[in-house]
Amino acid sequence: MGISVFGSGLSALNAAQIGLSTTEHNIANANTPGFNRQEVALATRLPQSTGAGFIGQGVDVSSVKRIYNEFLSTQVLQGQAQASKLETYYQQIGQIDNMLADSEAGLSPALQELFSAVNNVASSPESQAARQALLGGAQFLVSRFQSLNQRLSDINSSINGQITNSVTTINSYAQQIASLNKNIVLAQAAFNGQPPNDLLDQRDQLVSLLNQEVKTNVIKQGDGTLNVFIGAGQSLVVGEQPITLKTVQSLSDPSRLEVAYVSSASVIRVQQSSFQGGNLEGLLTFRSESLDAAQNTLGRVALVLADTFNQQHKLGQDLNGALGGNFFTQAVPLVNSNTANTGTATVSASVASSSALTGSDYSLRFDGGTAYTLTRLSDKTVTVLATLPQTVDGLTIATSAGALAGDSYLIRPTVNGARDISVVISDTSKIAAAAPIRTNASLTNIGSGRISEGTVNAVFPVNVNLQQPVSIVFDSPPTTFTVTGTGIPGSPAAGVAYTVGAPITYNGFTLEITGAPAAGDTFTVTSNTNATADNRNALLLANLQTKNTMTGGTASYQGTYAQLVSQVGNKTRELELTSLAQTSMVNQIVQSQQSVSGVNLDEEAANLLRYQRAYQAAGRVIQVANTLFDTLLSLGG
Amino acid sequence: MRISTSSIYNANINLLNQQQAKLLHTQQQISTQRRILTPADDPIAAARVLEISQADASNTQYATNRATVQHTASLAESVLQSVTSLLQDVRTVMVNAGSGGLNNSDKQTLATDLSGRLEELLTLANSTDGVGNYLFSGFQGRTQPFVNGMAGVQYQTDDGQRMIQVGSTRQLAASDSGADIFMRVKNGNGTFIAQAATANTGSGIVSQGTVTNPALLTGNNYQVAFSVVAGVTTYSVNNTTLGAPVAPGTPIPYVSGQVINFDGLQFDITGTPANGDVFTVAPSTNESIFETISNLITALRTPNPLGGTDAATEFTNSNNHALNSLDRGIDKVLTVRSSLGTRLRELDALQSAGEDMGVQFKQTLSKLQDVDFNKAISDLTQQKISLEAAQKSFLAVSGLSLFDFM
Repeated sequence: MGISVFGSGLSALNAAQIGLSTTEHNIANANTPGFNRQEVALATRLPQSTGAGFIGQGVDVSSVKRIYNEFLSTQVLQGQAQASKLETYYQQIGQIDNMLADSEAGLSPALQELFSAVNNVASSPESQAARQALLGGAQFLVSRFQSLNQRLSDINSSINGQITNSVTTINSYAQQIASLNKNIVLAQAAFNGQPPNDLLDQRDQLVSLLNQEVKTNVIKQGDGTLNVFIGAGQSLVVGEQPITLKTVQSLSDPSRLEVAYVSSASVIRVQQSSFQGGNLEGLLTFRSESLDAAQNTLGRVALVLADTFNQQHKLGQDLNGALGGNFFTQAVPLVNSNTANTGTATVSASVASSSALTGSDYSLRFDGGTAYTLTRLSDKTVTVLATLPQTVDGLTIATSAGALAGDSYLIRPTVNGARDISVVISDTSKIAAAAPIRTNASLTNIGSGRISEGTVNAVFPVNVNLQQPVSIVFDSPPTTFTVTGTGIPGSPAAGVAYTVGAPITYNGFTLEITGAPAAGDTFTVTSNTNATADNRNALLLANLQTKNTMTGGTASYQGTYAQLVSQVGNKTRELELTSLAQTSMVNQIVQSQQSVSGVNLDEEAANLLRYQRAYQAAGRVIQVANTLFDTLLSLGG
Repeated sequence: MRISTSSIYNANINLLNQQQAKLLHTQQQISTQRRILTPADDPIAAARVLEISQADASNTQYATNRATVQHTASLAESVLQSVTSLLQDVRTVMVNAGSGGLNNSDKQTLATDLSGRLEELLTLANSTDGVGNYLFSGFQGRTQPFVNGMAGVQYQTDDGQRMIQVGSTRQLAASDSGADIFMRVKNGNGTFIAQAATANTGSGIVSQGTVTNPALLTGNNYQVAFSVVAGVTTYSVNNTTLGAPVAPGTPIPYVSGQVINFDGLQFDITGTPANGDVFTVAPSTNESIFETISNLITALRTPNPLGGTDAATEFTNSNNHALNSLDRGIDKVLTVRSSLGTRLRELDALQSAGEDMGVQFKQTLSKLQDVDFNKAISDLTQQKISLEAAQKSFLAVSGLSLFDFM
């Protein structure tokens, strides 16, 4: 009897001690990330059966288990992957948002500077100072374009760096999870299947960290290992074996990195769409959704500005009496051949009509025969081109022979627009402020006919005979006139019917004659020599500021830039709000999960007291048993 | 419900972070005085700010452009004012000369005077804007427009008129072509000119005439030929362009001062034309003001300016011709001046409209992007109080622990 009291007293003492150390472990790890509180599972010992019934034999510690709710933990994982994606996207786009934040540092003051300078040239076309200021204004605008673009390129390079970091982190987590898998199996085998709580916590914590980099799915195996899958079911850890990811250059664009598997000497690229959460997806989505769009839009403004300004400038005449040349250099569309292409064809793209450009990138795929499939990446519109060259969205696409079916090309029409714009003209006299022709009514005219100033037709190249002298002499009766000059078809072209105010077009110019000319009245069109005070072309250049030259004639330069600012602003705001909402949702779930698994210090304090009391009571039991023994021994003495 | 102790801390840290972020945002709004710190704060307003800034900057640019037009138009106006008074002086001289009773030496004196005036007029017509650009030279700013050569004063430059953008949809002329002011002056009455032939020997003086019916005008040349047979003076009118007599086709008896009327025009001849005297009628042509004055100088210097025999009649005809042309010239200058005046008035109107718009733009910009201090400071105070409350309550909650009682 005494022995059994000793036995059960000892078991109680032991249970209280384990209870105390478990409580102490909980207190110690109250702030350890990923720690789940532990509890001692107690069970009564098998009772001694006697004729008098079952007599209890004390307590057994059956296990120390962690309080872990798998459902809540899975929910935390799901929420966190989304939250970290949004958070990363928000942080990245915040850089563009900040770049566009200061209206003084953006594109608009530079645009204004250029067009103010053009206006000043229009006011005093002969002034060298005004012309110099125009070159300065153009230089200012160009460097503003370039520095904004450089900032976006820097962000693009930093994305490559972050992708590499993220992949390194993922690999390291995968390795740690795999080795934990191994240790857990060993530990379970060594200790009769008792759960190695702290190893399990560590592994769960690693899965949670991995999940913040890339959305992760886990499947628990019978032997206690955890198989980890990322993306669309690609395995990352199978049992004790981790699989390595690496970054590789994109096939379609060598300037950017993509994620790929290394699997038995072959490299398998992971589609961006198969990532569904985590930092990595945040980075990739930001790059394809917002960064490219921002750079393309900025480039489009630069490209259209250069194109339209050049075209108008080429219709004018400089101080030396020559036709204007290009004012800005204009970027050429970028075409990247997929590095996996097997054919030898070279695809080229050129801008046919800058106003029709969309700012989207395109993917071109050779289908065999002569047919190509062109996909506009912004909205996935597919156009089948039976042959090349063809013009789509203001872009002329041509190719050389040698393509093989399946070859593909990435066409980025405007991405380099802002990088490659520069000012061609350095000599102030080369600014074409004047029009190349002027019209004149002879002083001996008798009738009331008036001739308009004439405009140069926007047809390129400009007619070679534009500046040849042309005379228009009214016949008798003055219902017809005769046109004479180099380049006039059938010169002298007699008997051309006169209609008041009707456009008269020859040699690339258009003019109107109004009123009632008399027979013999003469009007002439000549080269505009010595025209230092002529500002007609400068006025037309100044008008480009507010003209809707972009997006099919619906937006001005400034309007398009403002659209970019508002798009980035909207996206940033949206991400700020959704990421805030997602984070607070995750916090809610974490709180629920913690309310089950987290350590409450007051609770542990109470447990301390509880086990302390239990220990004291068990001690007293031993003392009582001891006394009982003494009683028995004294009987014998 | 169980609460995990670290949750209490985490939740409070999150809340404090959020409140501090809000407080910082409001504080930044106040210190930068901008409501929109980045486009994300108000994307639509941020885009509108850009559009309105451009409109505002253009509006300011138009004010600069208006100052340019104002400058050149005022200069041109003051030059043309001098031209007007000069031409009026010349006119007074001519009216005096035409009144008769001048001897040759008087005429020589007047001719010398007018030569000086002609030089003065040439200088005015070649005025510059102070930085070396001619005011009336069309597009060829650095080329002298009027040059006095063997063939009289010629216009060297062109008809160009420089326009300047003075409003978003308005261009105004900043210059006028010299040809339109000084050269394109119709002689005669502006439609046709009736002149005595140089060989006339009688004392017939022809008036400048008027148009009676514009619809009947032919634009042809005519000749009125006089014949005196047995003391009876008759005339007949021929259309020299068509080579046909004008109805009635028979000689008409001449009465001094009676209107001669055909093909929509009429004029009269006074005095006594001699047999064989001829008067021509032709469509008006351009005669520059310089030419008018120099013709007059020639008439004053030559005893018989038209080469005939009746010096007084010839001088009167020449003087009348010049006087008519000069009146046209003064009209022309006054027309240009009135157009300059209209432009200057329009500039004033545009200026005040532009200033109003500038104020509007600034107000709109301010509403869109400037911080409302009352609201911001009240927000700041409120956020500060909330943050303090959160901090205090956090301290109170985190201070509670069972361990304190053990």
